[in-house]
Amino acid sequence: MAAADSPSAALRRRDLCSRGIRLAGKMRSDVIDLLDTYVERQGLDASASVAAVEGVPVAAVERWDEQTGTQRLLENLAAYRAFRVLLSQMLEEHREQLGEADAALGRALASVLLQVSAFAYHLEELLRLESRGPPSEEGAPPPPAPHLGLFERKLRGLGVLRELAQWAVRSARDLRQLTKPSPGSVSAPIRAESP
Amino acid sequence: SHIQYERVGADVTMKCGSMDWDAAVTWTANGTDIDESHLNGSYLILKNVDLTHSGQYSCYEGSSWHLKYQTYLGVGTPPKEPVLMCRSNNYPKGFYCSWHLPTPTYIPNFFNISVIHGMREMVCEKDIFPKNRCHIKYLQLFSTVKYKVTLTVTNALGKNSTTLTFDEFAIVKPDPPESVVAKPVPNNPRRLEVSWQNPSSWPDPESFPLKFFLRYRPLILDQWQHVELSDGTSHTITDAYAGKEYIIQVAAKDNDIGTWSDWSVAVHATPWTEEPKHLTTEAQVTETTSASTSSFMPPPTTKICDKGAVVGSGAVAVCWTAGLVLAAYGVLFI
Repeated sequence: MAAADSPSAALRRRDLCSRGIRLAGKMRSDVIDLLDTYVERQGLDASASVAAVEGVPVAAVERWDEQTGTQRLLENLAAYRAFRVLLSQMLEEHREQLGEADAALGRALASVLLQVSAFAYHLEELLRLESRGPPSEEGAPPPPAPHLGLFERKLRGLGVLRELAQWAVRSARDLRQLTKPSPGSVSAPIRAESP
Repeated sequence: SHIQYERVGADVTMKCGSMDWDAAVTWTANGTDIDESHLNGSYLILKNVDLTHSGQYSCYEGSSWHLKYQTYLGVGTPPKEPVLMCRSNNYPKGFYCSWHLPTPTYIPNFFNISVIHGMREMVCEKDIFPKNRCHIKYLQLFSTVKYKVTLTVTNALGKNSTTLTFDEFAIVKPDPPESVVAKPVPNNPRRLEVSWQNPSSWPDPESFPLKFFLRYRPLILDQWQHVELSDGTSHTITDAYAGKEYIIQVAAKDNDIGTWSDWSVAVHATPWTEEPKHLTTEAQVTETTSASTSSFMPPPTTKICDKGAVVGSGAVAVCWTAGLVLAAYGVLFI
């Protein structure tokens, strides 16, 4: 527990948060581009309403400002682990459906999947810094993709990407909260002396 | 006393209360007798009414002058589709919606606003001022579910409504930056130091940082220079034209979402310029010999001046000091 408050831990936390914020920003930008491509290639209406999709973590939260740092990290980590599975399923379905016919969309999906994985790693590192460690992923295997028709799968994919775009914004905000010396942060970081 | 509202262009018939049709009555409008030509028996007939017909109408019994009936007539129009706008200038606290009618109705209107988010109806608290505005507190953040705001306007002659549907992020637009200040930098003829503050309405710039867009131009030119700044509330312009007055403005945007604010109030500043030196000796020499040297014009001089002293592209730099010295030489050789 003492290690969590050490200057080196505080600096490491700040570094991880800063990089995480940048990664979240890049991820959001890429997800928005991917959304445009996805809507176009899948022949969907960009303004179509998609009902809450089962298994897709919802970014919407009440009393966001009252969350503790640990809650933020755990909720983010659970979300990005879920997105990792969902995007992998989308990528597999895309390859089965189109093969190499739409390589650009496949590459964009793969790129976002990589960023989601990287972000999940950042979150795991932040949790390790708190000596809490991330919850284990071992145990039950991820739920299989539901058996849906082609159109339902497309809509589900739209829901996944939209929710991921919201999460990317939320995550950047969450990480900024963690860098503040307030009840919102995991623990008050020790301020580095100015040069 | 009664109140009645009628459309512009309508024909209006007013009865004098319970008086018989053939009773002798006098009608007044805002205290002025109405000519009998407008009467049909004891009924007052107003054809094709316009806004000037609005007012207080009274009917008096002929001989006794007892007031038998009184009504306020308001001539107007049913409402056209209202104009509705919603915006969040204090994200993540909430947003406000404001509205107005594109054309006046000239009679009282009542506005009702409903805000729906998913299955939830939210309360829009009316502002005291301005009165055509209300604000909503966010109950959720980062939601993909759209907000649906419906404004209905009703008056005695009809109703109309409009609906806006939007995402949480789409309406985020900060107020412009405040306290913009631009100052010259001593001994730097091409620099201007600009600073500003976050808009005071933005509640938490630490967690929701703003980025800024600065634009500047010399007053004598129309084209703006632009600089986007991802952090900090100050910037040094380093390519100002020496000696030229500049106009400078700043706009703000949330780092991640929404749209740019309007431009801030414009500030003016002129870069630092060197003060002309007090050259007593040269001035006196020039003055005493001016009669004999009136035809002599010292040539325009150029020197390898500091880049900052160049005024405009292709212009020749005129350096005062060298010019005066050469003028003095010219005098000596005559």
